Amino acid sequence: MQVQFHMEGGIAYFPGLNKPGTIDSDQLPEQEADELKRLVNAAHFFALPAVVGSPAPGAADYRQYTITIEDAGKQHTVHVTDPIEDPNLQALVTNLKTRRPATS
Amino acid sequence: MCQGRSHRNSIYCILPPYILDSIVRNAAPRERTYALQTSGTDTTFRTMRVNHDLLSAVERRLPTAVPAGQPQRTIYDTHNTTRLPGDVVRTEETGSTSDPAVDEAYDGLGDTYNLYWHVYQRNSIDDQGLPLDATVHFDQNYDNAFWNGERMVFGDGDGVYFNRFTIPVDVIGHELTHGVIGDEAKLVYLNQPGALNESIADVFGSLVKQFAAQQTAEQADWLIGVGLFTERVQGVALRSMKDPGTAYDDPVLGKDPQPGTMQDYNQMLADNGGVHINSGIPNHAFALAAIQIGGYAWEKAGRIWYETLLDPRLRPTASFQAFAHLTVANADQLYGQSSLERKAVRDAWREVGVLVS
Repeated sequence: MQVQFHMEGGIAYFPGLNKPGTIDSDQLPEQEADELKRLVNAAHFFALPAVVGSPAPGAADYRQYTITIEDAGKQHTVHVTDPIEDPNLQALVTNLKTRRPATS
Repeated sequence: MCQGRSHRNSIYCILPPYILDSIVRNAAPRERTYALQTSGTDTTFRTMRVNHDLLSAVERRLPTAVPAGQPQRTIYDTHNTTRLPGDVVRTEETGSTSDPAVDEAYDGLGDTYNLYWHVYQRNSIDDQGLPLDATVHFDQNYDNAFWNGERMVFGDGDGVYFNRFTIPVDVIGHELTHGVIGDEAKLVYLNQPGALNESIADVFGSLVKQFAAQQTAEQADWLIGVGLFTERVQGVALRSMKDPGTAYDDPVLGKDPQPGTMQDYNQMLADNGGVHINSGIPNHAFALAAIQIGGYAWEKAGRIWYETLLDPRLRPTASFQAFAHLTVANADQLYGQSSLERKAVRDAWREVGVLVS
């Protein structure tokens, strides 16, 4: 399973943090790979709409995430805006954020 | 017309004015007097009818239970989850807590309310005393603060690069000002109007800090978010209004990308068209104007920017040029055509590459 994760937005633009990252589950320790797959399944990722949540009128400085997952011949991309209402999707985003090289 | 309405309102049930005018012109003296009296009343009612929408707007602004000049703050805690709004942890009726994030949010909302009330006579976000709600401890290690259209939300930071987001009072003022902008100019959060939205949030965020510290434009550091970076980061703040592009240069975060003039304007897709990047240009113009005018920045430069934000001519899709033009027009109206203030504002925009005639 390949996961591309890109975090954007927030109160400031940091060039060093606005880089997409790719996670290959085959490269992860088995336990971490299993956990990631569990979170993807729990979020029903491949059944999610392309856009989850949108900024309310007047909202500002919100974070947005773009997640693309390829697994067993399937590919799906989802754009997500904070705050995330679905706790399963939130758990997946939290997991992907902690895998970033720099900050959450 | 008055019979056909489900809601029968006396102000919609009057003789047409031309009939009254005809009576005034042609009738005997006694009828003429009556008609003249009715005509006077009629004009009043007709004015009321025209202003019916305005009147209901005025009614919305009638005093509420809380007297103007007193903020109504409520701080919530999501306890490191993302379930907004969270539990109430501090109100106007309760005292300080042992949690610095809660107390900083509470005090920062108070400082922000004070600037708007004492300097611009604005009663909260909507000028009607809207309660100020903030949530702290959002998510785990969350490196952000945002305005969700209703409330301010603050993360704790990751502790590695970022401290908690309630530390800098200008960040709190910045978030609340997004609420004010949403109530007034409704600047679209994209490209130049988005960068203006961001810049105005920085301007009043910085003025909150300067007003709380009673600093002149000369004394102010014009930095946004001092205290947010941990010691590990090579940088002093998120942004510098006085010297855009110099706030940080760090191996992990990268280099502060803000331009200070139109020459370095960034055409980009990311960050809603660079709203947090190109905001450096109008930020720079404000700092230059305020320093040139001298004294307390909130008094004159801040007043000019505030009146521009409320100016009905400011469109939600305003460009830098359109906004700059209105700041000069408002400086003109407030201080006169040959005033130092008007000249300072015009010169500041010119220095950043936005020409106003």
